[in-house]
Amino acid sequence: MATTELSAYPGEGFEPRLIERFVSLRNKRVLEIGCGDGRLTFQYAPHASSVLAIDPDRPSIDEALFQQGEGGAPNIDFRLGSIERLIRPGAPFDVALFSWSL
Amino acid sequence: MVHALRRAGGYLRRGGMLVSIRPHRTWRPSIAIVAGRSRVPVATLLNTAFEVNLAAAESALERVVDEGSFTLAGAQAARYRIYLARPSQVRTYLELINPPRPRFPRGGRARLNAMWTSAPRGARIEVTESLIVNGLRRP
Repeated sequence: MATTELSAYPGEGFEPRLIERFVSLRNKRVLEIGCGDGRLTFQYAPHASSVLAIDPDRPSIDEALFQQGEGGAPNIDFRLGSIERLIRPGAPFDVALFSWSL
Repeated sequence: MVHALRRAGGYLRRGGMLVSIRPHRTWRPSIAIVAGRSRVPVATLLNTAFEVNLAAAESALERVVDEGSFTLAGAQAARYRIYLARPSQVRTYLELINPPRPRFPRGGRARLNAMWTSAPRGARIEVTESLIVNGLRRP
C-alpha cells in the first residue's frame, strides 16, 4: 500500500498484461495512437519488434523523446502527429494500440 | 473516432489486432479510506461530460465492427487502485487527469475531510479506477 509518485494511471505492467490477453506484443510491429509521454510505450517496447508511437501534443512527444534519450528503447519511433494525417511507408503493422485516446 | 479507427485499420495487416484502452464508462472512480482490513467508502466521483466521450468511443467501436472493418475479439474490464497519503493529495491527483476531470458529488469532499479527521493512524485514501480493453481483429 505504498504511496509513490502520484499518477492517475495503473502501475507498471498492468496494461501490458491486459493487452496480452488479446495479442502478444512480442516481436510485433506496433502502432500506438495517443502515446502521450510514452508512459505505456516504454513498458512494452522492449518486447516488440518496432514501435511507431504518435501523439498530437508536442510537449508530450518532447518528454517521450527526452525519456528515450535517457533510457534507450531505440526501437521506438516517437512522432508528433495524429492517425488522420499519418503517412507511414513500411506499414502494415501487427498491432494498433489506442492507449487512452478516444 | 470512427474515422481514426478506420485509418488505423488501414495500417494493420490482415489478421492484425486493434486494441483500445480507455476508462470504463459505468464503473465510476470511487474514494474510500482504508486502514488495515478496514475500508470505508466515501464517495463516487462524477464526470458526466467525459461519460459522453466514452459513450461515443463505444459507439465508434461498435460501428466499425458492424460495418465489417473489424471483428470483435473480446473485451476485458479491470479495476486498479491508487493510494494517497492525505486529502490534499486528492486535489493534486484529480488535477493530473486531463479535462474534463472527475469531481466529488455535492458534499463529498467535506465528507472525506470529516472522515479523515477520525481515521486511524496509518490510514490511506484509496482511489479505485477502472478501465476497459477491447480487442478488434482486422479480417
